[in-house]
Amino acid sequence: MEAVATPRITCAYLNSYVGKNVIIVGKVIQLRGEEALIDADGNITAHLNREAHLLAGNGAQIIGKVNPDLSVRVLSALDLGTGVDYALANTVVEVSHQHRDLFIYN
Amino acid sequence: MASYGGYQQTGYGSQGGDNAGGFSLGSQPGGSQGGSGNNKRNFADDTLRPLTVKQIVDIKDRYPGGEIVIDGQAVTQLTLVGQVRSVNSQNTHILYHIDDGTGMMDIKRWVELSNQDNITRFAPDTYVRIYGNIQTYEGKRLVTAHYMRAIEDFNEVNYHLLEATYVHLSLTKGTAAGGGDQGGDSMDTSGDGLFVDNRGAGGDAALQQKLGPCSRNARTVFLYLSKQESEGTHLNQVAAGTKLTAGDIMAATDELLGHGLVYTTNDDETWAIMETYD
Repeated sequence: MEAVATPRITCAYLNSYVGKNVIIVGKVIQLRGEEALIDADGNITAHLNREAHLLAGNGAQIIGKVNPDLSVRVLSALDLGTGVDYALANTVVEVSHQHRDLFIYN
Repeated sequence: MASYGGYQQTGYGSQGGDNAGGFSLGSQPGGSQGGSGNNKRNFADDTLRPLTVKQIVDIKDRYPGGEIVIDGQAVTQLTLVGQVRSVNSQNTHILYHIDDGTGMMDIKRWVELSNQDNITRFAPDTYVRIYGNIQTYEGKRLVTAHYMRAIEDFNEVNYHLLEATYVHLSLTKGTAAGGGDQGGDSMDTSGDGLFVDNRGAGGDAALQQKLGPCSRNARTVFLYLSKQESEGTHLNQVAAGTKLTAGDIMAATDELLGHGLVYTTNDDETWAIMETYD
């Protein structure tokens, strides 16, 4: 089952998930062609795929693989609109790392 | 004939008084079956458990066909939140592959022929909330959904994950006494526990003096690090061990680095304490 699990992380956890698939929820700060800058408790560079339709200023959930340079290659991107509680999303990331038996395979 | 009559009467309960022989004969199979059936189906114990996919995948059977138990509490009805990954429409049912980030599992939604047009089919990548119950089919867990709906407000996804955690903690650590601040309280006690342990074990007045100007979080992190192997402890491990957030730990270690109490080892997020045998 490990292969299908995608832990929720924020910028601070990128380091420990290089080469793994993760979920990141954050605010789209900037869109530059196929690259997006996403704020999830710190800025993350995301290399988007062609299907991604994100909007600057909106929330986004990206699922992707963490590159060695700590950017993220996006496999799936979802626009979440404007009503996203980012503090809540960051709290869930922390909670999921504290209670690993509910969320994360070691 | 007498036993046949008796059997029939006991089936309906207590009106078999004038047919004593038949009653005692018939009451055993009829009575015990009916009774145990009714007791087992105790609707008062039916709860709606918020769960993550991983919790369902991780269920261990105590014996084949036994009750499904998570955190010591039987699970009957459950609710899940996840993203649709694939949809497989059949004549009799729709099979959804659902991913909530903690794992993936199949959700089966039965479709009645008469009702076929009224059932919504959710597109891939939609976040859905599912109400249903767990089934085991060919050794695999499957959730049969009674009801599914699309999630309009993304915050509900995060809410569900927190609720699942809250219920898990209530069942494993006991229900929180008061409202609101239970999380903080339990962290306090664990923090205090660490301090007491440390004083008791070391009686280390010098250490306490050194930690004097440090914040609470810095103390907690330092004391946690001091119990680990010397090669250094990574941020994730510290987070899991101290129940502090990554941000708090970075701030705490910055503080400790400033005081020269810890140093970074493998990378900027791995620390060990500065050993002082003076």
